[in-house]
Amino acid sequence: MPKPQFDVLIIGSGHSGGMAANILTQKGLSCLMLDAGPEVDLAKNRVTKQPWDLPFRGMNKPGRLPHVVQANEFNANQWVDEKEVPYTHDPAKPYNWVRVRFLGGRSLFWGRQSFRMSDWEFKAADIDGGGDNWPISHADLDPFYARTEAILRVSGRKEGKPHFPDGNFLDADYGPDSTTVKKITDIANARGYLVSKIRAANGRNGLASSTNLLLPDAVATGKLQIVPNAIVREITVDKNTGRANGANFVDRHSREELHVKAKVVVLAAGSLESTRLLLNSGLANSSGMLGRYVMDQLYGVQVVASVPEARGGNAPEGMMGGTALLPRFKNLKKGEKNSFIKGYGMLIASGGGPTPGYFKEYGEELQKKLDLHAGACMTASIYGERVPRYENRVTINKAVTDAWGIPVLHVDVKDTQNEYNMAKDAADTAEDMLKSAGWDILSKTDKFHPPGYSIHEVGSCRMGDNPKTSVLNKWNQSHDMKNLFVVDGGCFVTCGWQNSTLTIMALAMRASEYLADQMKSGAI
Amino acid sequence: MRTLAAAPAVPAALVPTALVPAAVISEQAAQAQTPAARPAGAPVANGKRDAVGEPVARFFTQSQLSALRRLSELFMPPMNGNPGALEAHVPEFLDFYVGQSPAEHQHLYRSGLDLLNTRATKQFGKPFASLDAKQADAIIKPMMELVPWEFELPKDPAARFIAAANNEIRTATRNSQEWYAATVAAGRRPVGAQQYFFPVDPIYKG
Repeated sequence: MPKPQFDVLIIGSGHSGGMAANILTQKGLSCLMLDAGPEVDLAKNRVTKQPWDLPFRGMNKPGRLPHVVQANEFNANQWVDEKEVPYTHDPAKPYNWVRVRFLGGRSLFWGRQSFRMSDWEFKAADIDGGGDNWPISHADLDPFYARTEAILRVSGRKEGKPHFPDGNFLDADYGPDSTTVKKITDIANARGYLVSKIRAANGRNGLASSTNLLLPDAVATGKLQIVPNAIVREITVDKNTGRANGANFVDRHSREELHVKAKVVVLAAGSLESTRLLLNSGLANSSGMLGRYVMDQLYGVQVVASVPEARGGNAPEGMMGGTALLPRFKNLKKGEKNSFIKGYGMLIASGGGPTPGYFKEYGEELQKKLDLHAGACMTASIYGERVPRYENRVTINKAVTDAWGIPVLHVDVKDTQNEYNMAKDAADTAEDMLKSAGWDILSKTDKFHPPGYSIHEVGSCRMGDNPKTSVLNKWNQSHDMKNLFVVDGGCFVTCGWQNSTLTIMALAMRASEYLADQMKSGAI
Repeated sequence: MRTLAAAPAVPAALVPTALVPAAVISEQAAQAQTPAARPAGAPVANGKRDAVGEPVARFFTQSQLSALRRLSELFMPPMNGNPGALEAHVPEFLDFYVGQSPAEHQHLYRSGLDLLNTRATKQFGKPFASLDAKQADAIIKPMMELVPWEFELPKDPAARFIAAANNEIRTATRNSQEWYAATVAAGRRPVGAQQYFFPVDPIYKG
């Protein structure tokens, strides 16, 4: 019996693939979703354990996940096994690619911070000349942001500032600010910096994943089939029409090779995996831009201060606790003079403690210091925007294949003086603000993690109006092949300081509605 | 047990042991079901490795291990009613842990422990393990550097070893079964438990 031809094949099931399935099935299109990983039952797959009840006392098997700083022995099985799906890089250019391969992808585990990008990012080239403008603005994405915020149930505080656009928020009860948060807020405000609050996706029942917010409705239409454990090797092309007509995939367990047919292919495998698939398929690269402009955010810079009145557990009630969020506050005005372009957001958390390395002590002397400052610390950390660079790219390394014989990515990404200068400015600014509150600096670093660490890797498949300088058009559609779409973070032109999920989802929603309309009108 | 018994859809005995809280298991054991009442194949294991076994050192040389024992005692003595590193068998655990580690980490420890012995012999004419607290301090303190960012240890090998050992001795002590037991015995709430994520559908090996 012949197998079905679907209207749309969706590759990947995280927030972007889930959004595509949600929209396309509601529009009446038949969809097949393939995901490389197995399905997870979170209720069954997790159990509370004491660290001593794990083989390595909770300290992780040494060397198991060298690129995943976030890994510990409790969560080690969440991440993609680097031996199973390797990637390569020059040892002098480290890259931390942090991946999840389950149905739902990283949407099962994300941090849920949900900030809109603004025209300071969409039209960045007009402001600082770093990178290019997106072919869309905040106004184009605004209605899709609003609907995505409703799905995710984002709570936030409205500020009325165009560089930190407000959203369709649930009322958030942040409670009264602690006196330390008030103090640092006053200091920042006096410098002209906006101070706001975290904007977070509440989701439902403690989960804000594709698997509980997007896919169930799509399945309920009867128009979606989801096949896990299906690792796509390549997109296939009809020789007569020159258009994509499906994909070849490998069964994760048996390694049997199968082919599926579809009128349209939507890639949603995560920026770099979608790009890897296109490169391995030899598609969508007439511009030569596929794989270029890989970006993510600069994380790690940190300044820690101790509040004298709060030491020794003596903080009165209401002094410590809570956070202050400073949305990007540098280079907002054209022509502002700084040692770097673009900007960084800053989070200042009240109530933490120091780590042992802040003191040249050990044993009882060290413990006394740790106890003295426990709960009395203010910790500033940043979300920095990296500059898009043509040279920062991924290519296929034909010499290395994954466990299914698929050639892997070679990542060639490095930081430049702009990133180092931004980190230094952020550390100095944080130190200066914390000191002026009368607090003692315990630790300051302008060091930061290698690229990839933020798990916000975007770009490599960027959108634009010019087919010579971009891979996708402003509808996330390949310039080269009109029935091929990439709806994950690959399309980003700049990465912003903002966590990328909300923007990825809003773009996926917009692209999917366009695709459905185009299919309805017969244009595709 | 009552709640489980009231849920006929999932017979209690079919719930895998690992998913059942320890308190439920002990209650289950206390009920002393007769073998005939238990479904065939029901799990019976009720012990925990670290509650019964002492780790045996196999990786470090005797002089390295002796230095590690002394260092562990100094870095994490018994404090505030909690066990110290020696009570928590940390040197023997680290012998295992470092023995499993990448070559770079193994070299860091071996050369670091050797360095402690070399300097002790040079300054005091005896191995590090035999130094009193003041003498040991004269060796350790000059080796220490501040670590403002926990993700990057000092480049100097001696300082790097001290920073790594301090972190790992402290963590292995606080994560030990002995630390947990002492916390429970003192009527305090144990910290450190987290959600462990099982391997999901591992690749079929045939």
